[in-house]
Amino acid sequence: MSETSSKIKNISRIQYDPKPAEYWGPTPREARKKAVAKSKALVDKSMTLKEAVQKHIKDGINIGIGGFVNTRIPAAIIQEIIRQGARDLTLSFQSNSICCEWLAGAMIVDPDRVSIKRAELAWWGYEIIGIAPLLRYLNTSGKIQLDDYTNYGMSARFKAAAMGIPFLPVRDHGGTDMELTNRGKMVECPFSGENVYLVPACHPDVGLVNVTAADIYGNARIFGAQCTCQEIALASIHTIMTTEAIIPTESIRSYPNLTEIPYPAVDAVVEQPFASYPGACYGNYWFDMDHLRYYRGICDEFRKTGKRDGLKKYFEEYIFSCETSDDFLEKIGYKNLRKLRKMDGAQPVIL
Amino acid sequence: MEYSAVEMISYTGSRVLEDEKIVFVGTGLPIIAAMHAQLTHAPNLYMIYEAGSLAPILEIGMPLSVGDTRAARKACYLKGLCAVFELTQRGFADYAFIGGAQIDMYGNVCSHLEGDVYEKPNIRFPGSGGAGAMAANCEKTIVIMALEKRRFVQQVDFVTSIGFGDGSPDYREKAGVMGSGPYRVITQHALFGFDEETRRMKLLEVAPGKTPAEVQDNVSFELLMDENVKEMAVPTEQDLKLLKEEIDPEGYFLKRVTR
Repeated sequence: MSETSSKIKNISRIQYDPKPAEYWGPTPREARKKAVAKSKALVDKSMTLKEAVQKHIKDGINIGIGGFVNTRIPAAIIQEIIRQGARDLTLSFQSNSICCEWLAGAMIVDPDRVSIKRAELAWWGYEIIGIAPLLRYLNTSGKIQLDDYTNYGMSARFKAAAMGIPFLPVRDHGGTDMELTNRGKMVECPFSGENVYLVPACHPDVGLVNVTAADIYGNARIFGAQCTCQEIALASIHTIMTTEAIIPTESIRSYPNLTEIPYPAVDAVVEQPFASYPGACYGNYWFDMDHLRYYRGICDEFRKTGKRDGLKKYFEEYIFSCETSDDFLEKIGYKNLRKLRKMDGAQPVIL
Repeated sequence: MEYSAVEMISYTGSRVLEDEKIVFVGTGLPIIAAMHAQLTHAPNLYMIYEAGSLAPILEIGMPLSVGDTRAARKACYLKGLCAVFELTQRGFADYAFIGGAQIDMYGNVCSHLEGDVYEKPNIRFPGSGGAGAMAANCEKTIVIMALEKRRFVQQVDFVTSIGFGDGSPDYREKAGVMGSGPYRVITQHALFGFDEETRRMKLLEVAPGKTPAEVQDNVSFELLMDENVKEMAVPTEQDLKLLKEEIDPEGYFLKRVTR
């Protein structure tokens, strides 16, 4: 296959440094070796979030963040990562809101505890609630490197990794500035002779997902939009999974078609209700717009004034002074959580 | 009839959508426009939401974002991002309904940044999200944008969503995308299409009380004018009631910016 290009040059004003063709995490061959080396036994993988993060999160790794914007995001796992600290992280995700903004906020509060080196992404913001102030701050001040794809591009990158192949051909990015700035490549298709864009596989070191239900081995069901969680879990070297509920393996074995993530892809199973809060989880609870607005407001104030007091106070109150996710949820309060549960509208799930 | 800019945009968006099609919606006014179309002239129009939902029934409220769990309610097909974007590549999505920060005369849209340097822009926006993929592979792209000179620009800062590129006839083919490209641009004061020959933006309709010259004054590039520029239809009392009382009763989007 020969590398080619669309005729994108000079459409926009942008200047950029071309990125070398490399993976920002494990290569497909390394990922395959790690998978082969794993025990495939059905063993109880349930543990505390503290244990899971201690075991798998290290400085300098690529973390794949599941969910989509405010939906079924791995919020509890991100909070624990911030409590324990992790530096020089590469973030990979399609679209996310507070998970990224929490990590960014933690980096501003104490860069020796948490820092983001770069992100491979499609979108970072809050949708109706507004733009992400800390993305804007970090990127416009040159503090993090970005590599931009579309939502399909990032999803296809996780999918390629999940399939065990080094790239996937896709029908987007071509003819836009993403063709020039990201690590994908335009090639001539050997069969049709037409131009087609290739995006590189994305293997995170650790994938973070929250699911509707799973057994103790990590066989997981996802109700509502599945986002890219299956692909991220299968793509990652290790996967930390929170689940709204642990269900018996008999149930998994009775309806194996409902399993979206198979156990070999999972390394830690943590039962944690409201693990996506302040995000939503279909069949369980809606998102908490007030809390998202509250934190976003604090971040926006930092962006405008450069003062870190509000951020420090927020992190002390909601993250550092909490031992566990339950402590955090207790601060949010039963009445709030009950209201969000009601606002889900009793979306049907099969447990 | 008194109507706001966002009501006019939503109503026009609805008008542009045909029945028996599938529209891939972005957050906000595209959802409202598609819901209005379903309730009026296009009962057999269905939506795709990019988190993975096809043809939901929005009976527990308007989704506030494309990832909202409400957008999954009673869908016909509920998977993830790969599945729905692959439907667009395969040809099952007729319209992309997107927004952005800037657009040029060939319908290329920027929603990444403002500035000259990718590594350190003056302003960073959230990024492509689904828009870049939707504009590539849904059959027709509809863009919503406020009619302002700083948004209708000679040259965008960054091409996020492909239009007709530099206007050359084979630009999209060389880019490897499948959709036919920009179809309509909807603003509060004007409705635009694209000239088949030159692929340049063309004024089709103006809002009552506005002239084509006033529209041109708010656009940084030279517009083509349709031979027969029409007056935009305005929402009736019944349309406004649907928009305000049934579709967005809490005013999440419709109360945001009013004229």
